[in-house]
Amino acid sequence: MDFKGFEIIWHNLDYLIFGNFPGGIVLTLLMSFAAIVFSTILGIFAGVGLTVCDGFLRKLLVIVLGFLRAIPVIMLIFWTYFLLPVLLNIDVPAITTVIFALSLIGGAYIGHSVHAGMVAIGKEQWQAAFSLGFTKTQVIIFIILPQALKMMLPSFVNQWVSLIKDTSLAYIVGVAEFTFIATQINNRSMVYPTEIFLFVIMVYFIICATLDFTVSVLPKYHLFSRKK
Amino acid sequence: MYEQLLEPRYLWWLWDGFLVTMAISFLTIIFSTTLGFLLVIAQQSHIKIIKGVVIGYNAIFRYSPLLPQLFFWYFGIGNLLPIEFKLWLFDEPEIQLFLFTLKMPSFEFIIGLIGLTCYSSAFIAEEFRAGIMGVSNGQEQASLALGLTRWQSMRFIILPQSFRIAFPPLIGQYMNIIKNSSLTMAIGVLELSYVSRQVETESLKTFQDFAVATFLYIFAIVIVGTLGNIYQSKYLQIGKV
Amino acid sequence: MKFLTKSLTAVALISTLLGVNTAYADRLDDIEKRGEIKIAVFDSNPPFGFIDEKTNKIAGLDVDYANEIAKALNVKVELVPTNPANRIPLLTSQKADLIVANFTVTDERAKTVDFSLPYFATGQKFVAKKGLLKTADDLKNLRIGADKGTVMEITLREKFPTAKVISYDDTPFAFAALRNGVVQAITQDDAKLIGLLANVPEEQRAVFEISPFSITEEYQAVGVPKGETRLKEKVNQILLKLENDGEALTIYNRWFGPDTNSAMPRGDFKIGKGQ
Repeated sequence: MDFKGFEIIWHNLDYLIFGNFPGGIVLTLLMSFAAIVFSTILGIFAGVGLTVCDGFLRKLLVIVLGFLRAIPVIMLIFWTYFLLPVLLNIDVPAITTVIFALSLIGGAYIGHSVHAGMVAIGKEQWQAAFSLGFTKTQVIIFIILPQALKMMLPSFVNQWVSLIKDTSLAYIVGVAEFTFIATQINNRSMVYPTEIFLFVIMVYFIICATLDFTVSVLPKYHLFSRKK
Repeated sequence: MYEQLLEPRYLWWLWDGFLVTMAISFLTIIFSTTLGFLLVIAQQSHIKIIKGVVIGYNAIFRYSPLLPQLFFWYFGIGNLLPIEFKLWLFDEPEIQLFLFTLKMPSFEFIIGLIGLTCYSSAFIAEEFRAGIMGVSNGQEQASLALGLTRWQSMRFIILPQSFRIAFPPLIGQYMNIIKNSSLTMAIGVLELSYVSRQVETESLKTFQDFAVATFLYIFAIVIVGTLGNIYQSKYLQIGKV
Repeated sequence: MKFLTKSLTAVALISTLLGVNTAYADRLDDIEKRGEIKIAVFDSNPPFGFIDEKTNKIAGLDVDYANEIAKALNVKVELVPTNPANRIPLLTSQKADLIVANFTVTDERAKTVDFSLPYFATGQKFVAKKGLLKTADDLKNLRIGADKGTVMEITLREKFPTAKVISYDDTPFAFAALRNGVVQAITQDDAKLIGLLANVPEEQRAVFEISPFSITEEYQAVGVPKGETRLKEKVNQILLKLENDGEALTIYNRWFGPDTNSAMPRGDFKIGKGQ
């Protein structure tokens, strides 16, 4: 292996990072961030819904979540991009579609984790809180959810990491995120796929590892440190 | 109206692709569960090096996208194999296994299986680890106090309980394996996504073609989910104490 | 059961989508009213459509044709980057009015999309180690790499059923497979293969060569939505005019002329001649 391939990466570094703004690594980060925020919000609502709703509403929720977990991400992006405009009669930009689809899928997975966390918190806590005169909403917001979220944090991180990696599927609707741009350069230079994709692996590794480290290691030392 | 539907021969192509998807997913599930289980057992070891290796393995495979990983196996490892062995694999020889004659799957299938297994086993090991952590520390100590060896307490006390905790997320991982198997099309495994691209190229009926493919994926994943639920409610009785 | 209902709804949605296509008003009027034409072009398929190194914008032979079509219609052009997996959906969902993306004409495809007059002719050739391929018969027992989304894999399967064909995502990967010995030959349009070898470092160019024979003769044309006859006629007129003005030759020479690194004679192909 000679260094010509790495030279190509170096020469195109600004295009890889910014694309035709927004694009490249920046766009990957932006889309990941948006998808993480929206999917977590959706997931919390879905999780609470799964825990408190019953009857028809719960069944409906279970089916919708089941469907979202069953459909391959790339297919959901494809279908929302091409069917949403027909259904709603508006033109939805590609980036929005990708964030929308990723948020829905991430939300479905996170919803199940939130639900599992809320169930795992013992009955006693609910009862204790009720006996103190809290309403159901208050119990959920102040007592149950914070504990459940903290408990399921590792599972959230897993899901967030998946979301970051899944942004690369945006190529199906032509969004110029990082992998997409790497492919363009790969096709132009023709003969350096190994070097280029090694670089792609590295970048994703750094992004995901940073996220995991920040979320799961740092809080132990600073934010939530409880004195024993 | 009818000329807009997919012709039967394309449906057969898609069906063949679906069978390959099922085969590679099924084998991946078996291998990665075994490997993930071994990894987590190794991680329980008190020897620092073994622990470090497992943690490193999990990080590398979990934090990078599957697609470049598959390229790595296909182009990188494929390069290291001796040329005679590769040529032998390319021929897809038939192997006499006692009573059966087994046709070797294609080189692409084998590499795809290896790539998927390594990737998925890291995730599965994480799920098992979460399960083991979910079993309280007191139980291990109690069983050690009762005179069980560390291995025995693992085997009879910790693992059975952690399996129960890890089971639902494990099913989720199995569903992911089916979905992830679609990426092996990049290295030429003739699975459902690959075939659906072929159908698209030849017929240009993209919507109809992708609709059938989406349906087949959902179908397979729903089956896995349902089997998981049945097993869980019948044998694991989660939620009952 | 629930999923059956869901899939039925999906089928209904798709038929609406396809229905929209036929019930739609004339696309040509629409383009003129909008003052803009949306044309789908490849962005990773040099030299037909790729990101230019200096400007970071899409350029290439297809892009030149797209610009000329827009200029002749006296409307602005919006280039929609596409890949083989979404070019038809872009067309049916009206996110693109035309496809000018290295689009090979086949009878099977003509059932779903209308084609203009061809504006480019190629043949399917191969790259392999020097001396390996002398005649087409040499292909019979090889493992051959192709690109997804091209008709080449299908052609090979039909003509050489004993050869094993593996399709990769794009040409760089197919070529990587060739260099690694996973396949013994790769196939593409002659135009693309010349460009490929031009990019390869010196020492590898000494090892590989393009096959002396081609197994097909293919034509590439503009993809027009099914049933948009007026638009198709208009595109044909524009293409013919480009040929008569000599503009078609200028475009060809810009990418394949003797001064380029993918030099290739145009042969006797002319837009609107024979075929």
